[in-house]
Amino acid sequence: MRPNKKRFRRRVKVCRFTVEKINYIDYKDVELLREYTPTNGKILPRRVTGTRPAFQHKLTRAIKRARHMALLPYSGN
Amino acid sequence: MPLYELGVIVDPEVPPEEETSTLERLEGIITDAGGEVIGKDSWGRRQLAYPIKKKNYGVYHFWKVEVGGEALAKLNFEMRTNDAVMRSLILNMDRELRRKRKMDAKMEARAVKKAAKAAAKAEAAADED
Repeated sequence: MRPNKKRFRRRVKVCRFTVEKINYIDYKDVELLREYTPTNGKILPRRVTGTRPAFQHKLTRAIKRARHMALLPYSGN
Repeated sequence: MPLYELGVIVDPEVPPEEETSTLERLEGIITDAGGEVIGKDSWGRRQLAYPIKKKNYGVYHFWKVEVGGEALAKLNFEMRTNDAVMRSLILNMDRELRRKRKMDAKMEARAVKKAAKAAAKAEAAADED
């Protein structure tokens, strides 16, 4: 590695659901789902959040259910 | 009978007696089919994430229900045709929680294995000394 090149350390991403052992994601848990939907309302990809695939699937389902019940927006501003 | 979770958003501008009558009708359908409402959770008036029928608020009700699957069609029909109901969602909690139980078991097995491995390692280290 060249000494003058600035090294940056990537922040370690962890899957929250694996760590906290949340095995069921409830669509009514809006506080939790909010963390995975920025203000524009999109679902954050697992590449960004580090969520395990199995949990990402569950999360997506929960967010879509919450959207249907108007707990989360389909699109933000 | 499977356990279901029923979520309903009731129109907040509807008179309160109509709201209760709507909910009673839903409960009637469930009890007629030999089912039972186990838990009722009411969130009350809550702001919607986006307007539905030009309304910004909704009254949320979540029930835990035990009914045979045949009643679901009736329930869905009632909720869809009733003007006081803005949105509804029925989930089969048996199916939802089966996956959770499976994953719980898997995680527990993994934790046990890990603990055993750590114990074995500690023992090996102790032997070396």
